[in-house]
Amino acid sequence: MVEETLVLFKNIRKPEYSKTLEGYKKAGGFQTLKKVFGMKPEKVIQTVKDSGIRGRGGAGFPTGLKWSFMQKGSSKPSYLIANADESEPGTCKDRELMLKDPHLFLEGMMIGCYAVGCHHGYIYIRGEYFPAIKSLNTAIEELYADGLLGQDPMGSDFHLDLTVHSGAGAYICGEESALLDSLEGKRGQPRVKPPFPAISGFNGCPTSVNNVETLAYMPFILGDGGVDAFKSFGPENNSGTHLVSLSGHINNPGVYELRMDVSMRDIIYEIGGGIRNGKKLKGVIPGGSSSSVMTADEVDVLYNFDELANIDTMLGSSAMMVFDEDTDVVKLLLRITKFYAHESCGQCTPCREGTHWSRNIIRDFLKGNGSDEKLKRLDRVGGNMLGTTLCALGDAAALPIQSFVKKFPNDFRKYYAKK
Amino acid sequence: MPVFHIDDQPVEFEPGEKILSAALRNGKKIPHYCYHPGMSIVATCRMCVVEIVDLGNGRPAPKLQTACSVDAADGMKVETMNKKVEEGRKLVNEFLLINHPLDCPICDQSGECTLQDYSFEYGSGKSEMDYSKRVYGWRNIGTFVSLERNRCIQCSRCDRFTREITGTNEFGMFNRGHELTVDTYTDRPMTNKFQGNMADICPVGAITEKEFRFKRRVWKLKKNRSICTGCSTGCNVTIEHDRNEVFRLKPHENQNVNKWWMCDEGRLSYRIMNERKTRINSPLGRVGQNLQDISWEEAYRAIAERIIEMAPKENEVIALTDTHASNEELFLLKKLLKDGFLSDNVFCPLPKWEQIESEFFINTLITTDKSPNRAGALALKIKGDAKNVGVKNLIDRKLKMAIILGCPFEKENDFHQKIKQTQLVIHIGAYHNCWSDIADVVLPGQNYSEKKGTFTNKLQQVQTTDIAVQALRRSRPEWQILAELGQALGYKFDFNNVNQVFGAMSEEIKAFSGLSFDQIGDKGIKLTKTFKDNGMKLVKETT
Ligand SMILES: Cc1cc2nc3c(=O)[nH]c(=O)nc-3n(C[C@H](O)[C@H](O)[C@H](O)COP(=O)(O)O)c2cc1C
Ligand code: SF4
Ligand code: SF4
Ligand code: SF4
Ligand code: FES
Repeated sequence: MVEETLVLFKNIRKPEYSKTLEGYKKAGGFQTLKKVFGMKPEKVIQTVKDSGIRGRGGAGFPTGLKWSFMQKGSSKPSYLIANADESEPGTCKDRELMLKDPHLFLEGMMIGCYAVGCHHGYIYIRGEYFPAIKSLNTAIEELYADGLLGQDPMGSDFHLDLTVHSGAGAYICGEESALLDSLEGKRGQPRVKPPFPAISGFNGCPTSVNNVETLAYMPFILGDGGVDAFKSFGPENNSGTHLVSLSGHINNPGVYELRMDVSMRDIIYEIGGGIRNGKKLKGVIPGGSSSSVMTADEVDVLYNFDELANIDTMLGSSAMMVFDEDTDVVKLLLRITKFYAHESCGQCTPCREGTHWSRNIIRDFLKGNGSDEKLKRLDRVGGNMLGTTLCALGDAAALPIQSFVKKFPNDFRKYYAKK
Repeated sequence: MPVFHIDDQPVEFEPGEKILSAALRNGKKIPHYCYHPGMSIVATCRMCVVEIVDLGNGRPAPKLQTACSVDAADGMKVETMNKKVEEGRKLVNEFLLINHPLDCPICDQSGECTLQDYSFEYGSGKSEMDYSKRVYGWRNIGTFVSLERNRCIQCSRCDRFTREITGTNEFGMFNRGHELTVDTYTDRPMTNKFQGNMADICPVGAITEKEFRFKRRVWKLKKNRSICTGCSTGCNVTIEHDRNEVFRLKPHENQNVNKWWMCDEGRLSYRIMNERKTRINSPLGRVGQNLQDISWEEAYRAIAERIIEMAPKENEVIALTDTHASNEELFLLKKLLKDGFLSDNVFCPLPKWEQIESEFFINTLITTDKSPNRAGALALKIKGDAKNVGVKNLIDRKLKMAIILGCPFEKENDFHQKIKQTQLVIHIGAYHNCWSDIADVVLPGQNYSEKKGTFTNKLQQVQTTDIAVQALRRSRPEWQILAELGQALGYKFDFNNVNQVFGAMSEEIKAFSGLSFDQIGDKGIKLTKTFKDNGMKLVKETT
């Protein structure tokens, strides 16, 4: 029987847990930060490297490596920015943490700030997340009142300020360089890379952007749990637990904390309780709407970074969207493509024109104007966004289109074959 | 310099230079829209894709890369013409065209539009886009330029221009995705003085110059290199003309002077080149109240006879010139007075002028000295001062004759009155003005677009104008008039072209010593001996 493995949710899953600073401390909170203050930052980064943790924001980049890129001895200040923009369709895990255990994430963020030498950290949070914004601000007030933020917390000679900055409702501002532009008060648009944020990020200073969930693991990795325990939760190169946002036609949707060696089938049928109304599974979007779709007979793989990459899709933000046999896949793709057409920042040609054009073509099928030629065209237009754009949003729009056309061609044909 | 290879050709690059920049510098063309060497790199049009088959470490880049944003590297091998690259360009161009109105027949940019050029090369004859196109309404964006948003390809050059070049932040990108478009903020038309440059850098016909709209198809225009004479900066330009009419001035890149830019006022200075109403069409001689057409021979003969008759002494002669005259003209005028009358009485107005200091280079272009050759006059030691004291002192004495070149001291009525009373007033110039009104002999000169000449700008850099259009039939360039006048008076003034005058000048005038006309070339050349202009005042930009 597959069960949750509780690292991040160990407090949340206790019904009596109080998310206040007092409650968090009672549950052992801020012990790790205290320990970390006694370590050299380099040692902290090395430990994070050793844990093998990969970023949970979507790209799966090793966090320790990212921190080690931060320019040392720069005359400019360093910044750590928590990416709490959580806008990838299907993803709702960071919200759980910020709402229900804000201090866990904040402790993680403080450890990160210490590691990269940041004295003013920003939390860039999705603008629509009103309760989470409130929850974070309340928690931060508690930390200042307690002396954990500000000058010399816990007798260390470190000092740190944290600011919550809410976005204005653009998905693209979750992309780290667009996030930085937005935070600087500019129009949020991805920047050319290189230079990467570690060299020139917020206001041109060395910056690390990390996902909320990624940071929330730090108290465990550097604290009681430790590197070995963390690594034991998954196969090589896929260490740790991850928060899985399970949604769609499933009996028990929700956010679950799972090891990285659980099969997708088990997640759907055991954790998720199977398909709603006893229907058959048709397919799964495995890692947020940006990932390539999988058919029902592909789900016997372990739900982790490498296994999904092996079958040409991705873990992304661990957001699994399950759909049953009655699903109109063309409508589903239209919904996804509309999202990208709406959220494209528009600066680069293939994404600006391609998202909108493919949306129109998909709509044609629903209007009864489909054809073999149009199906080919949809695949071509979608494909022309793949690998041709400035940021990954172009790929994110292309991958669903290409995979839907490839894996469910008959669903498209159904719309015009009748005639 | 380190070397990398583009299509098997070795190309040198400066460390940190991008592939596209190095390629363009070495005459290798790679299609591009958003890249502009004077502005930040955004890498958004995606047209400049190339295949990097070897990153310099033996490994290829995983996919096509944008040449504008990737650093060249030692040993790197780049391919710009293979099938894959061509496909990459084709797909971008198809995307750019699906919403484009394709209205080349009525678009001013047609003929100098990179979208048109690349579509010709990489476009398809048929469109696969069968939905209605994106359409925007008309907007008034500024005094000098016009915007047709439907033609825009969202390259953001205009947006970067007001952010990075003028610093006025008047123009920007609005909305997102498929609806991304350009506009001014809060419905306010732009007021910066450099809007014409936005028409230049806009790769398509979205931003065009109001002044030029619908006047001439650009492929009919012939182009000659010259300089703007609108102020003492001397921005490098091309004079663009057809059938002897000038249609526009466009900036020509010169990193030492104007980079890629020029001001709107300078652009408008093309108008005077077509001015016919006030042009002096023929040599004129005074008969009573009236000026009458005479021949060049008659004019020179009459002048020579009068001068021999009057035999004026050193201080009975004066020559007044403006600083619109070329170095050669100023030199010959000075030489004429010296050789003919042993006189140093050549004067020009030298008012004080202001140079703006600004963190934005472009704002330093426009000066308050609206003449192109003040520095030339100073180098040639033409006399003058801010208050015209020198002229005033001389003019009250018994003057017998005056030679006026151009239109100096236009507002000094007193000067006009006193000069009028002298026995012989010769006016040399292209246009009628207060001086031709009182002259006894008028000799028709030419304007900048009709003759060759060198000018010394505020940076004390010597630059040339060139013959773009045919001059009026009976006019002659001023340097030639002065040379012929010298000959008529019996001096050794046998100069057949500007180069010879320049040669004589470099022999006689220290500031020009060692320079030759042919050396000046495309980029101009610094004076051999530079000096401080005490009339210049540095002022901080007011914002
Ligand atoms: C279009 C787009 C949207 C993104 N949105 C988010 C987001 O909402 N939250 C997030 O953490 N990362 C998002 N990312 C990924 C970030 O760019 C970045 O990789 C991540 O924040 C790094 O954190 P990590 O290393 O902890 O994963 C997005 C990326 C792209 C291309
Ligand atoms: S891929 Fe799309 S979202 Fe990303 S920079 Fe280009 S236009 Fe903007
Ligand atoms: S108006 Fe011209 S310069 Fe500006 S974004 Fe459009 S195409 Fe580019
Ligand atoms: S700045 Fe001066 S020289 Fe340059 S274009 Fe303007 S008027 Fe002409
Ligand atoms: S010129 Fe390189 S992307 Fe536009």
